[in-house]
Formats: sequence, structure tokens, C-alpha cells
Amino acid sequence: MVDEVVDVLIVGAGAAGAAMAWSLSDTRMKIVCLEQGGWMNPAEYPSTQSDWELRQFGDFGLSPNGRGRPEDYPINDSGSPIAISNFNAVGGSTILYAAHFPRFHPADFKVRTLDGVADDWPIDYARLEPYYEQNAQMMGVAGLAGDPAYPHKELPLPPVSLGKLGHTLAGGFNKLGWHWWPSDSAIATVPHNGRAQCINLGPCLTGCAQGAKGSTDVTYWPAAVRQGVELRTHCRVREITVDEKDMADGVIYYDADGVERRQSAEIVIVCCNGVGTPRLLLNSRSRAFPDGIANRSGLVGRNLMFHPYAMVQGVFDERLEGFKGPMGCCIVSQEFYETDPARGFLRGYSYEITRGIGPVGTALSGMSSGEIPWGAGHHEAYEARFDRSAGMVAICEDLPEPHNRVTLDPELVDSNAIPAPRIEYRLSENSRKMLEHCMARGQEVLQAAGAHSTTAQGPLPFAGWHLMGTARMGTDPAASVVNEWGRAHDVRNLFIVDGSIFVTAAAVNPTNTIQALALYVADSIKERLANLFD
Amino acid sequence: MSQAANDSGFSEAQERALACVLDEIIPPSEDGRFPGAGELGLVSYVRKQALDLVPMIAQGLTSLDELALARGAADFATLPRSERRGVLEELAAREAGFLPLLLFHTFSGYYQQPPVLEALGLEARPPFPEGHEIEPNDHSLLDPVRARGPVYRF
Repeated sequence: MVDEVVDVLIVGAGAAGAAMAWSLSDTRMKIVCLEQGGWMNPAEYPSTQSDWELRQFGDFGLSPNGRGRPEDYPINDSGSPIAISNFNAVGGSTILYAAHFPRFHPADFKVRTLDGVADDWPIDYARLEPYYEQNAQMMGVAGLAGDPAYPHKELPLPPVSLGKLGHTLAGGFNKLGWHWWPSDSAIATVPHNGRAQCINLGPCLTGCAQGAKGSTDVTYWPAAVRQGVELRTHCRVREITVDEKDMADGVIYYDADGVERRQSAEIVIVCCNGVGTPRLLLNSRSRAFPDGIANRSGLVGRNLMFHPYAMVQGVFDERLEGFKGPMGCCIVSQEFYETDPARGFLRGYSYEITRGIGPVGTALSGMSSGEIPWGAGHHEAYEARFDRSAGMVAICEDLPEPHNRVTLDPELVDSNAIPAPRIEYRLSENSRKMLEHCMARGQEVLQAAGAHSTTAQGPLPFAGWHLMGTARMGTDPAASVVNEWGRAHDVRNLFIVDGSIFVTAAAVNPTNTIQALALYVADSIKERLANLFD
Repeated sequence: MSQAANDSGFSEAQERALACVLDEIIPPSEDGRFPGAGELGLVSYVRKQALDLVPMIAQGLTSLDELALARGAADFATLPRSERRGVLEELAAREAGFLPLLLFHTFSGYYQQPPVLEALGLEARPPFPEGHEIEPNDHSLLDPVRARGPVYRF
């Protein structure tokens, strides 16, 4: 294979890489994207089979360490109470995500100014607003205008069905006078851009066989490929290389056969998520960058943020039809989103009402909790819970702390012998207090909705879904890794676009903001093409 | 166990014993709506799911027979039903992996079976391609939320 120099090389075909590739494709530049996973086949997703509930414990599991897929790389997360969740494929983690699609709020971009913690972003809500709108069209976002927790926003598709479960819980929020609203969801509730509409299958978190969920393999990628972007699958990048002027000049990667290749490029864009991106940067050592490329600040890998999650569940007398409808998208409450110092913590959290679980999930969760015994009394206990459980997760805002970080594991490597990432993370006191608050208030609202018994758990040990902050954005090269439009301070043709560049985490799912940032950075590149490297 | 294992990895006696164990884990319901896990034929499901662990299960079944023998029965399958749970618990205290393994596969296999799903009032099919109908949204429930006005900071 001849090493042709391409104009733009994107590493990673997930949420950010897809949006980036599509937006840049109208320049007619030669764009190549390298993705370590392959295309998914929706006909093989678990919801097409009778064992659909069990495969979340197998090849569609959340953790790459237990999934057994060859495209995964191991992650040493034994030093964190929250395990990493991701997926490696065209579409990245959007294959498994719930498609819960909220925006950040205006206040989320200025937490230092408003609350005296963390840092303000170098951009604001108004800057990203047009890109949120553009992204809503491309991803197909369903929702209802008028949410009083946000500035006015219009969404292109009608909201997801709340169902009996959603209506029941909405009644609880109304009894307490708390905020709630139908979730913004990247789900085609009506046919959209060639995608079939949602038919309420339920298990969105193991891929959408209907193609209604907005994973980027069915949204941005088909459009980007039509416009000439070359997407090479099963290609795992080992390192970014630099020339004598300290500019990125390409990458070294392994192809599907494990053969080492080189791809040269004028511009390199890294879109590998909040763990994969610092891993690649730290693995890219050279004379100019002995501690990893773009890491003169020493901040690559630091300030890792999750969203600490709690789960609150209640059992009701009536059946709720909770297994019908998008698993993670129903209604949201942001009653406790904004800071109230009287609560004993800064910043806040969102509640996301989740759907109920299926027959097998009910049995296994009841077995592990001891609520559904084996032997005598089994059927009575099972029927008292099946389709009668409802609840929510609380998604808490994490704050950036330098000791929470991604480094390279000294021993663990992937199948190409590339050093694997290691996670060091401690839950902050602020997060602990927030979790206590949301678990207590969550049980109150479930009781108000009619639950006769409630339980709460937090932090959820498996819920490292959102990976942020490890190559933060800022105007000061000593205090950030990329500038206010995503370019590495240290390398003028290297861009980073994913959750890594988040300054703070907000208390909402990050994918919409990751993609809005990608579209914004892409536009910033296009506007500066004549003098991009100055 | 003196009998030779067949193609399933279990002897016929072991298959009978395993069916009895599965019926102890999920017995038939008193109202007759739900069958027991053993009579539902979950032995082959468990064997398929735990293929690598068949020798361990077989060893556990042998131990159950030995415990039944000590109580005066010929084997576990002929032990009075009132005594089977006690024997299973005795074995669980001695061999930690046997019972949890069978509980997991019995619980997960049982609730995939068409007769069980139908008894729960469900259609016995995977979610795709039919999906599910859901009642229409009642957005009038949002009136009190709207009436509060904005709840965010600029």
C-alpha cells in the first residue's frame, strides 16, 4: 500500500469522528478515517433473538474487558470505583448508548463564574447553539419544545412515547411540584432521513435492529461516505508521528491483518473518547514530545471526569408495560440541576426515568438482590415484581480533579502489543454528598408516584459511560491541551474532538455536546483553511 | 456415578437428577399456570449454556446422590421432595460453585421459554421485528411544569 499523503486523517469513527468527517467532507479535501472496529450488522443485534436479554452480559456487554471482541483494547480500571464502558465499531459507543440527547445548559459553560469551582469554558452556549440545531437534524432528535429548564429550542421530531410507566412517574413529579419533561432523544419517532421509525423494541442499549436509534453508523457515516470520505475499518492506530518542525505528519497503525502501516496526513484529528484519546497521545512519544504528543502542559490524561450515577427503583402494585419503549429515554427531571448551597454540595444532577426490565432481567436482578427466591415462593415473588418495577438513574455532575487520570499501564497491552490505558479515579466528597441527596429525593418521588417499596444504589460500578476532561480546552497553554477551537496548543495541525476536551462535565449525557463541538471545530477549521497552521 | 455419560455429558441418571434439581429451583406453581423448570426441559438448555462446566455439574450431581444415599434414598431423584431442598443446601455449603451456576442458568433459561412468557401475558417472541404498541402521550400533565416558568440560570 502506497503511503499517499491525505489532507485530513481522523482517528476514530464514533460520535465525534463521524460528525467531523461529514462536516469537513464539503471541502472536497481527501479525508481518511481509521477505525479499529468494523461495521455492525443490525440483523444480528440481540433484539432479533430470544436470548436478547442475556447478550448484554456477553458480546454486547458494557466493559471491553469482558466482551471478548477482537477489536476491543483492555483497560485497567481496577483503580476506579467506576468501570469504563465503551464500544469499538463504526459508530463507536453510540452503538450501545441510550440515545438520551440533552444539551448542556448556559450555566454549564461558566461554573467558575457562577459557583466558584472548576473552570469556565472558553466558549459559551450561544457559540454551540447553531451546532446543536444542525446536529439535531443529522442525528434525528425527538423532543418537545418549551422545556422550562432550557432556553427555547425546537427539535425536528415528536417526543418518544412515555407509556404507562412514564405517565405514572410523571404523576409523582407533579405531586411534589418538581420539574420533569419528555427526554430529548436521538430516536426517529417518525421516519427521518431514510431511517425507519422507532417501534418501541426496548433494548436500545444492545444496538437498534430497527435503525431508529441515532448511532452514527446510520446517521453521519452514510452521508460522509457518499461525499467521498474513506473509512478504513479494523485499523488500530499505535501512534501519531511528528516531523522536524514538531508538526504531526501522520500515524502508524495496524491493519486488519495485523500488518504495520503508515498513513501520512496534513491534518490529524483525534476522536477516540476520553480514555482512548489520552492513551493515543501518551503513546505518541518523540524527541520533541518525550511525555506524549501535545502534552507540554502535563495535562494529557488528567482531570478525568465520569458522571457518577445512582439508580433508584420502586415496586408498584400495577403492571406498567415498562419493557415497551426506548430503555433509556422517557422523561427527565432537572429539579436539582442548578446549585443550591443549602444542599451541602455544588452543582447538581438530572434524573432520567428508565423503562422497566424484561422477564430474564427481572429474574436475575431479583435473584441477586434476594427478593426472588428459588424454590417455594418463587412464582409469587416473581409476579409481584415483573413489570411492576420502575425507576430512574441520577446523573451527577463530576468536577475536574487532576489526580483523576488516564495513564499508560506498565504491563497491560492490547492484541497489537500497544500499551493499554490505566485509570486512577477517586469519588470526590462533593459527588458523595450529591449521590446521597439524589438517592433520597429519588425514593421520595417514586413513593409519590405510588411505589410501595423503594431501593437506591450509588455510585453504579458499571456506569463509566461518559469519559471526559482528559485533554481539556482552554486559552492558556499551561492550563489546557487544546485551544478554544480544538487545536492542540503544542501542535498546530493536530486537533482533538471528543469528550476529552470538555472543561466541565455538566449533569447531562455528553454525546450531543461532543457532536456540537465536532461541528463547531470543523467549521473553525474550514473558516481558517488559508492560514490554519499560523 | 457408575453409569457412563451419554452425548450430553451426563448419564441418564444424572439427567434425571438434574431435572429434579431444576424443579427444586423453580417448581411448578400451585395454581398450575407455570411449569417446573425440570419438566419444562431446561436440562438441555443448562448443558448448552454451561458446556465447559458440565464436569463440575456432573460432580455436583454425584455428590447429591451420595447425600441422598446417606438419608436412606437410592439417589437424589428418589429422595422425598420435602428433603431435596435440605440436601441442595447441604451441598451448596460444601461446593460453592454448583448451586449459583444452576440458579443463574435456570432463572435465565426459564424466562425465555414460550409457555412461561405466555403465562406472564407476553407474546413469546423477541422484540424485533414486531416491536410494541404504546399508549399516546398525555402532554396536559405538563401544565403545572409549564406554569412554574424557567428553572435555569443564564
